[in-house]
Amino acid sequence: MKVALFVPCYVDQFYPQVGIATIQLLEKLGVKAAYPPAQTCCGQPLANSGCEREALPIYRHFVETFKDYDYTVVPSGSCVYHVQKHFDKLEQTPEVQRVRATTIDLIDFITQVLEIKELPGAYPHKVGLHLSCHGQRGLHQANESEMTPVRDGQLRRLLGGLDGIELTELDRNDECCGFGGTFCVSEAAISGRMGHDRVHDHLRNGTQVLTGGDMSCLMHLQGIVRRQQLPMRVLHAAEILNGVTP
Amino acid sequence: MSYLTHAGRAEAFVLDHERTSWHDETLWFVRQKRDKAVYAVPEFQELRELASQIKNHTLSRLDFYLEQFEAAAQANGVQVHWAADAAEHNDTVLRIIRQRGASRVVKSKSMLTEECHLNPHLIAHGIEVIDTDLGERIIQMRDEPPSHIVLPAIHLKKEDVGDTFHQHLGTEKGLTDPQQLAEAARQHLRAKFLAGEVALTGVNFAIAETGSVVVCTNEGNADLGVSLAPVHVASMGIEKLIPRLSDLGVFTRLLARSATGQPVTTYTAHYTKPVAGRELHIIIVDNGRTQQLGRPDFRASLKCIRCGACMNTCPVYRRSGGHSYDFTVPGPIGSILSPNIDLKKHSTLPFASTLCGSCTDVCPVKIDIHTQLYKWRQIVAEANHLPTAKKLGLKFMGRLLASPAAFKISGSLGRKALRLLPHGLTHHHAANAWAIARELPEPPKQSFREWYQQQASPTA
Amino acid sequence: MSSARERILAATRANKPAETVLPAVPDFGGDASLARFTEVLASIGGTVERLLALEGLAGAVARLFPAARLVASPLFAGSLAIDQQTPVDVLADVDLAVLPVEFGVAENGAVWLPEANMLHRALPTVTQHLALVLDHRQLVATMHQGYARLAHGPGGYGLFVAGPSKTADIEQSLVIGAHGARSLVVLVY
Repeated sequence: MKVALFVPCYVDQFYPQVGIATIQLLEKLGVKAAYPPAQTCCGQPLANSGCEREALPIYRHFVETFKDYDYTVVPSGSCVYHVQKHFDKLEQTPEVQRVRATTIDLIDFITQVLEIKELPGAYPHKVGLHLSCHGQRGLHQANESEMTPVRDGQLRRLLGGLDGIELTELDRNDECCGFGGTFCVSEAAISGRMGHDRVHDHLRNGTQVLTGGDMSCLMHLQGIVRRQQLPMRVLHAAEILNGVTP
Repeated sequence: MSYLTHAGRAEAFVLDHERTSWHDETLWFVRQKRDKAVYAVPEFQELRELASQIKNHTLSRLDFYLEQFEAAAQANGVQVHWAADAAEHNDTVLRIIRQRGASRVVKSKSMLTEECHLNPHLIAHGIEVIDTDLGERIIQMRDEPPSHIVLPAIHLKKEDVGDTFHQHLGTEKGLTDPQQLAEAARQHLRAKFLAGEVALTGVNFAIAETGSVVVCTNEGNADLGVSLAPVHVASMGIEKLIPRLSDLGVFTRLLARSATGQPVTTYTAHYTKPVAGRELHIIIVDNGRTQQLGRPDFRASLKCIRCGACMNTCPVYRRSGGHSYDFTVPGPIGSILSPNIDLKKHSTLPFASTLCGSCTDVCPVKIDIHTQLYKWRQIVAEANHLPTAKKLGLKFMGRLLASPAAFKISGSLGRKALRLLPHGLTHHHAANAWAIARELPEPPKQSFREWYQQQASPTA
Repeated sequence: MSSARERILAATRANKPAETVLPAVPDFGGDASLARFTEVLASIGGTVERLLALEGLAGAVARLFPAARLVASPLFAGSLAIDQQTPVDVLADVDLAVLPVEFGVAENGAVWLPEANMLHRALPTVTQHLALVLDHRQLVATMHQGYARLAHGPGGYGLFVAGPSKTADIEQSLVIGAHGARSLVVLVY
C-alpha cells in the first residue's frame, strides 16, 4: 500500500508536531507514509472565500502531487471534505476521481482502511472532544445531534478505548467552534464569541485536554484558551494516539 | 466595522455579552425542543426525504400545479389574483379593501407581506392594519422588523415588552409577567378582531387538487380574524403549492416539530370555500421566485416551508440576532434567498456562516443550505462584490498556493516574522482581527517540512 | 403587455427543472390508542375527560364548566342558538362551545373539526373555552391516516385543533390562551 501524507499548510508552519505525530502513529500501525515535498494546500481558504476559480490551479496541483498514491492521509477532516466535495469543479479525469476517492482523514484511515477499532494504552486525563463540522457533518465521522441523541463516533471510540481516559460530556455536543476559515477574521466578533462559548462548555464540564481531528478548529480554540489563560491543554488527536504503544 | 455588512451589525450585537448569551440560550432551547420532538418520530428522516421529493416534484411541474390550483379555487368560488412583484401585490390588496369600502384590516403573520412591505403601503393609503400575532403586534408597536420568521419578537426581553405595552396599551409600568402581558394583548386585540372588515393572512400550503389554502398558527389569530371579517385575502408565493391533500400528512408532521418542537401547530386551518355572501381572495405572487427557479444551484431554496429551524440551530444567528441580516427572512435560509433579490446589498450574507452545515441537517425539506451559501460566495466574488483588500489577498494566495517553491519560502518567512516581531505588533487589533479574542499560535523553530527533510537526510 | 398571470406562468415554464417523480407516501402505522392521544394532548395543554355515554354530555359539561353562562352546542338543548348568520357581538360573549369532532390523531393530540360541526366558523376560536366531543373509536395514529380520512376533501373550511390557543412570543414563556380558546377539553365517549 502506497500512502502519502498531506500536511495542511497551517499545520506545516505552526504545528509540525501534529504532522510528526501523524507520521509516527502511522508507522506504529505498520504504514510508512511518504511526504511528497511538492504539496501546498487543498485550496479551501480561497474557495470558501468565493474564489473557487482562483483555486483551480491549486486543485490541479494537489491532484498532480497525490495521483500516484493508494491513499493520501490527512490529519484534517476539513481538507479531506474539501477535496472530496469541491474538486467536482475539475474535469473528472480518472486521476481526479481517484484522488477524490482516496484522500482520507487520518481517523477514518485508521478505523476504516486499517480496520483498527482499538488502540491499547493509557491516557488518564479528562479529555474533551471537538470534532470539526466538516469531519462530523461533512464526512459523517460522528453521529449528529440534529439526527439522534446517541453520541457516538470513530474518534470517540478510539479515545474511549484508552485506559484511564474520561471523555467530557458537553452541554452542546457538536456545536460549531466558530473558526470557519476566513470567517474567523471577516466575522471576528462572532467567531470569537462562538469560540469563547465552546471553550467554556469544555471548562464547565471539566475538560483538561481538548482534542480533535482538525487543527484549524483547535488553533482557534487554543488561541482563546491562551488569551484567557485557562487551565486546558490543546492537542491534536494524533498526538494523544501517538503516545500509545500499539 | 461598517453597518452595511453583516459582520458590522453582528459586532454591535455581540458587544452586550450577557444579552448575547440570553439570545443564544433562548434559541438553543427551541433547538433542543425540536430535537426532542424529532427523536421521538422514528420515521422523521424518511419524512424529510418525502417532503424534499414532493417539493422537488412540485417545482418541476409548477406551471401545471399553479393552473390546477387556480381552476380548483375558482370552482370553489374563490377570486384568484396574480402579482408579478411586490407593487402589484400591494396594489391588489389595496384594491380589494377599497372595493369593500373597508378601512380596518386585521392581519396574521405572513412573511410574504413583510417581503412586499405591505403594511406601510396600506397605512400610507389610510388603512388601519393591525398585526394580530402577538410577536408581530409587539414589533409593530415598536416599529421594528421581525427578527425571526416564527418568533418575530425573539430579540426582545419581557422588560422590553412591558415598556412597549405600558406606552401603547396603558399597562402598569414595570409589568413583566408574560401571562399578564399576553392577557393585555388579548383584550386589546379582541376588539380589533371584532371590528375587522378585511382579514389578511399568509399561506403555509396551497393544495393544487382541492384549491385550498392551509394556514398554521398557535394563537388562533388567523382563524379568528378570517372567520369574523367579511373578506379574507390570502397572499401566497408560487412555491407554496403541494399537489395533494394527502401531502399535508408529511408537511404537518414536519413543520411544527422543526419549528418549535410541538407535535403540530394548535390550529391547522383549511380554507377552501368562502361562506355565502363573503369573499375569499387568493393572491399568487412571484416577486423574484421564477428567477430563483431558473437558477439550478439555488432553486431548492424554494422548497422552504418557513419553519425557522435553520435560524434556531445557526450558531451565527443565535449570536448575531435576526436584525444583523437586514433582510425579511434572516438566518441561513435568508442568506441564500436574499442574494437573488439584491446581490450587492446582501453580498455579505453568504459569508455570515462558518458552513458548519447544521442548517442543512435540520431542514425538514432537505435544502442544501450550506452548499448554497458556498455557491453564492462564488457568485458574489465573480460579481466583484468582495471587499477589495480581501480580493487582492485571495488572488495573491491563489498564485502562492499553486507554486510549491513560493509556498515554502513565504511560510517560513511568515513564521520567522511572527517569532521576531513584538506581541503588541503581531496582536494589534486593528491590523489583525484574529487577535481581538485570540492569541496567535506560537511559531515553532522548524516547520514540518523542514523536520521531514532532516529525517530523510540528517546531515543536510 | 401580458397579464401577471401569463408572465408568471411563462417564466415558470421556462425556468422549471426537468420533471421528477412525485413519491407515494406510505402509511407508517403507529399507536392509535386513547392513552397515547391523552398523553400527547396533556403535553400541549389540553385535557381528556371520559364520558360513559354521549347521553351524559350535558351533565358532564355542567360539572366541568360550572361558571359557563353562555354555552353554544349542537349536541344538547338549552344552549345558545348560533348559526353562520349570528352577529359578531353575540359570538363575542360565548363562554363555552361544545362541538362534535370527527376523529382524533394520537401522535399530536389534534382533532378534526369540519365546518359542518362548528355552527359558525368563528365559534371554535372566538369562544372563551372549547370542549370537543370525540367517539373513542375514531382515533388514528398519524396525520397520514388523518388525511386519508378526508378522501372527499377538507370541506369549505376545516380545522385540526390541537390543544388550547397558546403563544410563546414573550421570551419563549408559554402562555395558554392567546387569542383563541383559553382551555380545551376533549370529551371522549
